[in-house]
Amino acid sequence: MRDEGKLEHHTENLWIQTRTLPAGLQAKLGRFSSQIGYLNEQHPHADDFTERPLLYRGFLGGHWYDDGLRLNWTAPTPFYLRFGVEAFSGKQLIKEAETKKSPGAQTFSMKTGGDFDASNSWQFGLSYLNNRRQAEVHEHGEDEEEHDHAHGAEFSGKRMWMTDLVYKWAPNGDSKNQQVRLIWEHARVGGIHPESGSLRHSGTSLAAVYRFHPSWEVGARTDWLKVNKPELHDDGAGPELEFGSGRLRENALMIAYKPNHMQTYRLQWSRQTATGGDEPVFASPVKNSIQFQVVIGFGAHGAHSY
Amino acid sequence: MRTVIKSVFTALAVSASGAAQAFSVFACEPEWGALVKALHPSAQVFSATTHLQDPHHIEARPSLIARLRRADLAVCTGASLEVGWLPMLQSRSGNAKVQDGQPGMFYAAQFVKLIGQYEGVVTPFSGDVHPEGNPHFHTDPRRLLQVAAALRDRLIQLNPAEASSISEQYASFLKALSERIPVWEAKANRLKGKSILTQHATFGYLWEWLGIRSVGDLEPKPGMSPTPGHLERLRAQMSQSAAQAIVIAQHHDKRPAQWLVQQQATGKTPLVILPATVPEVSSTALLTWLDGLVVTLTQEIK
Repeated sequence: MRDEGKLEHHTENLWIQTRTLPAGLQAKLGRFSSQIGYLNEQHPHADDFTERPLLYRGFLGGHWYDDGLRLNWTAPTPFYLRFGVEAFSGKQLIKEAETKKSPGAQTFSMKTGGDFDASNSWQFGLSYLNNRRQAEVHEHGEDEEEHDHAHGAEFSGKRMWMTDLVYKWAPNGDSKNQQVRLIWEHARVGGIHPESGSLRHSGTSLAAVYRFHPSWEVGARTDWLKVNKPELHDDGAGPELEFGSGRLRENALMIAYKPNHMQTYRLQWSRQTATGGDEPVFASPVKNSIQFQVVIGFGAHGAHSY
Repeated sequence: MRTVIKSVFTALAVSASGAAQAFSVFACEPEWGALVKALHPSAQVFSATTHLQDPHHIEARPSLIARLRRADLAVCTGASLEVGWLPMLQSRSGNAKVQDGQPGMFYAAQFVKLIGQYEGVVTPFSGDVHPEGNPHFHTDPRRLLQVAAALRDRLIQLNPAEASSISEQYASFLKALSERIPVWEAKANRLKGKSILTQHATFGYLWEWLGIRSVGDLEPKPGMSPTPGHLERLRAQMSQSAAQAIVIAQHHDKRPAQWLVQQQATGKTPLVILPATVPEVSSTALLTWLDGLVVTLTQEIK
């Protein structure tokens, strides 16, 4: 990633975690990815598509990691049940804030899941983000340069609810040769601006991936994003606050070759369509794009989550 | 929601009742579950995987986190076999008993000498190599006995009240297996020096024990699935000097091995498919399974 002639680098993970707290409690301190939603906590190098779903790109800056503290409790139930709270600085979520509070963001989340049988498993998550940093409002058309990686949320609000549902199938639970993964996520953002009334943002993503050979996967994803962006419009009589509405739809198809878990070669086609008012938020959707992605892992690598 | 809350409280009540609860064991692979059953039959044993799964590639499923959360002891292979999923389960479970370094986390690999250490420099192109060595040592009954002795000590440490029963169970397991080993060795004596093709190092210790030579691997690199180019090279190799059998595990994709067999003269090279571990978790499963391996090999390899 090059930016103004400099090679960009950032630290996404620098944390300590307890392992021996009693009663199923775990605490984590440092810089880490928030556990809201399904994908946010996953390592981006393990993603099934070249970019995160629209709702992540729009509401979480692609992948939201921040400085903070987490406390989780795993219940001693026959099925998986985990509750968690996090407190973050929020600076990675809202880069330029009008109101600066500490902590800048809090999350509350729960995850539950289990097996239907040896071949079929599921997980459901519900999370809430309380964002206490109100984003600065910019002039219409004054778009920050587009980045796909943790540069703050483009569309934000005081409250965000997320729900996620994952279903996986593998014959006899052996995912090496064959697997199907279905991932559904939905996010709803309220409290966009003190003057926005009941206007909301919302986003949904549905992805299906099929591993049909130990080294090959195909996948399809469809995304919707609906936003009401607070913007300043100046028609000569001074800047005036307006809410620009926009809808963006994205469909993607991908095929990936993974000769082992240190290497991924992915070819992806995606297409966006946008609708909006006279001065649309999504003025230039990417009509058709073909991307080729290579991911190479080095060194010992930790385990992946479900 | 009410049912959820109710079961949370039921579970809390159950864990609070402590001693009344059976000693709960989470086995990463069924062979260790069977070994725990042989040494401590009253333990409540759950195996995270089955003989139909490749233990390198397991999803850290929510159900497994829930199982590990409630375990008193986890018995795993170690030597990086479970590196792709166990650390995630340990971390998510929040169970202090089964973290590395605690008596409740038992890695069998710490008690045996491993073969097949990878000595090169590990790069992203090396495949799934294990610098520690081949982790599939449960196919060697002599190493099983070494693990059994260490596991006996660990079970006694965690269940001091059951010490005499566990020692007795261990003694009878030791006797039964020690008696069988020379019988199996005699039966398989004529297999010594036979050459076979295999897939992955799944049965590496079995070949070493029985003196069978593995002259080729269907995987071009460890953990990498057979490729057409690599199969073609093996076909050419077999036309020079034929292998006496192709042996794969039940969880492997059969098609590559079947293709190679079809390239040989009819009936010349049998395809032998073996379960890589016990198909059920019971106190007698290990003996029955090892017996089955020896019988199948002696029947199939001419």
